[in-house]
Amino acid sequence: MEEKNVLKGNFETKKKVILEENPQDNLTNSQQIAKDLKETVLQALGGSMVYVERTNLSWDGNSDKKGE
Amino acid sequence: MVKILFINPVIREEDNPKHIPYGIALLAAIAINDGHQVQVYDANAWRKGDEVLEQVCAADDWDIIAIGGLTTAFGYIKKACKIVRRINPQTFILAGGGFLTSMPREIMDWMPEIDLGVVGEAFVTFPVVLRMFDEHKLIKIPLDFQKTLGIIYRKSNGTPVLNGVRPNIPNLDALPWPAWELFPLDIYFANSKLLFSEESFTSKRRLDVNGSLGCNLICRYCWHLGTTGDMVIEENEDGINDVRFTYGRNIRYHSPDYIVNMVQYLRDTYDIDFISFIDENMMTMDAYSKRTWIFDLCEAWIAAGLQPTCRSKGIPHDDSCKGVHWGGTSHATLHRKESLEHMFKAGCSQLVYGLESFDRDILKTLGKGSTREKNINSVAICQSAGINPIPNIIIGFPEETFESIRNTITALLELGIHAKPHFATAYPGSEWYYDYKDSIIEQYKGNLEAYIADLGDATKITATISHRFSAMELLGLQKIVELRDLRLLELTQIHWNEADQFMKPLATPKTSFNMVKKKIQAPLAKVVG
Ligand code: SF4
Repeated sequence: MEEKNVLKGNFETKKKVILEENPQDNLTNSQQIAKDLKETVLQALGGSMVYVERTNLSWDGNSDKKGE
Repeated sequence: MVKILFINPVIREEDNPKHIPYGIALLAAIAINDGHQVQVYDANAWRKGDEVLEQVCAADDWDIIAIGGLTTAFGYIKKACKIVRRINPQTFILAGGGFLTSMPREIMDWMPEIDLGVVGEAFVTFPVVLRMFDEHKLIKIPLDFQKTLGIIYRKSNGTPVLNGVRPNIPNLDALPWPAWELFPLDIYFANSKLLFSEESFTSKRRLDVNGSLGCNLICRYCWHLGTTGDMVIEENEDGINDVRFTYGRNIRYHSPDYIVNMVQYLRDTYDIDFISFIDENMMTMDAYSKRTWIFDLCEAWIAAGLQPTCRSKGIPHDDSCKGVHWGGTSHATLHRKESLEHMFKAGCSQLVYGLESFDRDILKTLGKGSTREKNINSVAICQSAGINPIPNIIIGFPEETFESIRNTITALLELGIHAKPHFATAYPGSEWYYDYKDSIIEQYKGNLEAYIADLGDATKITATISHRFSAMELLGLQKIVELRDLRLLELTQIHWNEADQFMKPLATPKTSFNMVKKKIQAPLAKVVG
């Protein structure tokens, strides 16, 4: 595979900055499906269509005591 | 020789990197021609985290790390300067571009890491600073920036000092071609498609070219930041030098031969099939050159064999088309049918028109010199020449009313335009920024820096400059314009009218030292830089 030095110039730098594998480039099948879903939903957002980030969901209101 | 690292900051993270930073690529070429050692880290193309930036900073013993961009890159530049200073405590940090030129004093205060800023056009100032560094290294001359034009530097106690304005260069053809080879072109080529026309949508290898600098018009939301002869530096009421933006203009354009030779080189070297002209307003150059520039450019394009086959043979464009299509910027009152037809023949597929509004009264306040009729006709004239017009629409102007929004929607319906309008945004360097600066600061609870950091994309609402409409109303009106729904507009207006008596103006204009509403011309150098 081609080496990916992020620096380009007219001389050799003392150290190279070679890219480490980017997890974005190697998504598992389910990660890829989740990513595609988010992109598609965000494009179509509106009406009853909503999208909730799984990772960013937070709730800081009072919890409903009923049923406890 | 000086060892320089250029950092191209990340902008518009929500969008793919589509444009090589033309200014940085030019400055890199100038530095290389002067014998310096240059590396580029294109953070915007790579979109890697801070860790990679840290490694880049540690990759060599940099003499200078140079960073710059427009105001929209402010957030990243600020963060990057902190990282650079932490990893390279001794390296000289140099900044430039629109973000700095629009407000050099504030930027030097907000970013204590910056040692020196290039203010305005950098084509001469940057190599001058590099030469000073070289001499300083070679023969140990102390760095003394007192007499260097076009910079803001720090005295030994850290206080920033803004020097006089550097004259613009008269001859753009004296510039080398940008150093495209220092950028990760594969990333840009992968994002070649633009949703503007069939030709740009099917482009596989697109690059940008800037054919000119300047624009004769004085749109009140637009900024030029010294490159168009609009900026002078004078002492303010406190006796301190500050930038002043004016209606002065130095119009300059590359010769058609310079542009065509460059595009031929790009086609032969990178197999490009599309060129985006990033000029502010190509039609102002056509008018200024007495209608010769566009004509000569198109003739040279065709003579050089760059004309696409679909245009030479008069057949529909498809995947087998050879040649280089292109797109650029136009203007509703400055374009002419003859020029447009010639442009089409040479391969032009789209032109962006900043129509902004279709309301007579709003258009009178813009400084654009267009009218509702001319705006409406421009779409038809451009289309009849075979070129796709891309109209830009804005809402939230200072004098915006329900009536003006209605006039825009009716024109959109009439012309078959679908648009999600941008919000009128007062970018630093524009007339409206200085007119409404106090209101903006108030809307950001006294924190101007927070406003600047928020400016990334005009589809996002930041500070409003509309006298009557709040952010809430503008967000609703944006949706109504997008839907082109006159019924919703009428309903909203009925409700709003009842509340109107209780409304007080949300933004009010005032005069400012930084904006002189007169034609004060910045100097133009006599000798080519
Ligand atoms: S026509 Fe375009 S480039 Fe010229 S001043 Fe107006 S917005 Fe700016």
